[in-house]
Amino acid sequence: MSSIEAPAPAGRALRVPAAAPRANMSRIALWAIVLGLCVMPFVLVIVISFGQKIEGAAWVFGFTPEHYLRFFVGASWPETTTTLYLNRLYYSIYYAVIASVIAVATAFPFTYFMTRMSRAAQSRWLVFLLATLSLSEVFIVMGWDILLSNRSGLPMLLRESGVTGWLKETGWFDVLREWGMANPRDVKFKTSVFATILTMSYLVWPYAVILLYPALSRLDQSTVEAARTMGASPWAVVRTVVLPTVRLPLIGTVFLLFVFLLGTYVSVTVFAEPAKQTLAISVYESVRGSTLNAPFGAAQSVILLITAGLCLWLGQVLVNRQGARG
Amino acid sequence: MDNLVLHQIRKDYGKVRAVEGVDLTFAHGELTALLGPSGCGKTTLLRMVAGLEDPTSGKISLGKRDLTRIPAHKRKFGMVFQSFALFPHLNVRENVCYALTIAGVSKPQAHERAARLLDLVQLGAFADRGIGALSGGQRQRVAIARALAQEPEVFLLDEPMSALDANLREAMQVELRLLQQRLGITTIVVTHDQREAMTMADNIVVMSNGNVEQSGPPQDIYHKPRNAFVADFIGRANFFDGVVQGGRIIAGGLALDAGAVRFLDGSAVTVAIRPEQPSLDHDMPADNRVPAEVTFIRDVGATRDIHLSTPLGPIIVEYAIGESAAAFRKGEKLDVQLPGNALYVFPAEQRRTSP
Repeated sequence: MSSIEAPAPAGRALRVPAAAPRANMSRIALWAIVLGLCVMPFVLVIVISFGQKIEGAAWVFGFTPEHYLRFFVGASWPETTTTLYLNRLYYSIYYAVIASVIAVATAFPFTYFMTRMSRAAQSRWLVFLLATLSLSEVFIVMGWDILLSNRSGLPMLLRESGVTGWLKETGWFDVLREWGMANPRDVKFKTSVFATILTMSYLVWPYAVILLYPALSRLDQSTVEAARTMGASPWAVVRTVVLPTVRLPLIGTVFLLFVFLLGTYVSVTVFAEPAKQTLAISVYESVRGSTLNAPFGAAQSVILLITAGLCLWLGQVLVNRQGARG
Repeated sequence: MDNLVLHQIRKDYGKVRAVEGVDLTFAHGELTALLGPSGCGKTTLLRMVAGLEDPTSGKISLGKRDLTRIPAHKRKFGMVFQSFALFPHLNVRENVCYALTIAGVSKPQAHERAARLLDLVQLGAFADRGIGALSGGQRQRVAIARALAQEPEVFLLDEPMSALDANLREAMQVELRLLQQRLGITTIVVTHDQREAMTMADNIVVMSNGNVEQSGPPQDIYHKPRNAFVADFIGRANFFDGVVQGGRIIAGGLALDAGAVRFLDGSAVTVAIRPEQPSLDHDMPADNRVPAEVTFIRDVGATRDIHLSTPLGPIIVEYAIGESAAAFRKGEKLDVQLPGNALYVFPAEQRRTSP
């Protein structure tokens, strides 16, 4: 459709050129802020990761792959090869995968039953969960540190209540020792993979509930009832109706929590064994510790970032495939 | 063949009583419509039959089997939900096969039965489609086929037509009835649409406030309403109040003959008459003539609604439009004759509730 526009009054026509540059300026300023605050830090990290470290000082701009080489094969390559940092990347992924899966697996039934509660009860739970999100990681880890400490926490409770003795009598204590969860005398949680993953799961559990809540609260309850009338037991209903219906939000939540957990610092510092620490710790040591090496820290950060990006991309591919199938 | 029997079924939600001591028998192979206004307890009753709600007291049995505490997944009554409740992650065939898959029927057998059922509901060509690619009517047919896949002894439908547009609803009512007659399954349909109930059902159960007001064949319910609520809810009716005196109804200063009135003299009564019963013809009988004035005329397709102001109160007469039909004018004064045998007389205290 075409239209004929009336000529604008002269006074108004004069204002147009003045308003256009102002709009352009605002747009440019907005982009500058976005680039400056969001993109520049990443660009800087990437640039620094190729920089040159100066012994006893800071670093200078340059283009050397030595920090990436050091990450994958060690600083003294090709004479010797070490996979120390690859090992740390492995533990970053290992902890994040297990903790995010555990958080989602435990949050799922809780959220499902929560969405079946009255509106008032749901609101109370959501407010409580949102309130727990305001707790810092340091505070949460401190709580778990006390709870799992060998002298005053759960190990002491197990010892005093006789459970440790019973474990020793039944042989389970030796199994726990093999799992790294007992010293020669007592059950121990610090340091252990178990405590690290437990704390990390706890850390993201409220996020899991909040991310799953919309999908589960939208679940059409009549589909559940329809399945029941067709002979499906309660477990069969969950397996064949509820889980497939919310599989995309479930996968999405796991990936989101996984990426969040890749950078966990305090929990790993407190609960992980030194040999099983993650890349986040290594990055921090490189940029803050006595072995100050900003370019190497930056290179590790870039690798962590690429890992997270790859995982998100894989997740997206998986979600798209599932979506196409559904 | 086993009848489904409800004995003194009661359901309380806290202090609210949803269903009050219902006694009903659903004969094998018949289609029964549970009809009533919103909140009358009909869906609650259906859900108790399906096993989705436990009755507070009473007994549900199918033949000699007591089903009262049997969970829904062990009753396996086919049920069609108001929203159809199709599984969005499964295609049409997989939806229909669901009950068979759960029962452990082999895939080829399940697919064969699904194909037969989809042919039955005329959706054979849609087996591989996703649920999102179906229209409302097609979804309803899939829901019916899915519910029938497990060959249920009782087939339950909770307002199955409410999501369909008017034309499709009419067509599906007839289709569903034909299908039910072909399969001969005991069927219970919940509806608040009296036309739907009249179209499809062998029997209608009219409910109000958790109680069964009347049950019986549609024509009996229409022509012999047990109380003012049923007369008002099923079809249309004109109501006026009166007092019984000497076997006649005294109302608006007139004495009306209402056949054999079983009320004591002085009893206050509510009288109902269907709009198609009053006569406006010139050769109307002499008895029960009521002076009236035409206040409004409305053409409704093949009939015309003549709104009258009378000493008894406003009365609507459904007048057939034909070649010899009289013409009426607004403000015209005339007589309307109320046939005595068409007057339903109820105790005055019976509350009328509009649908």
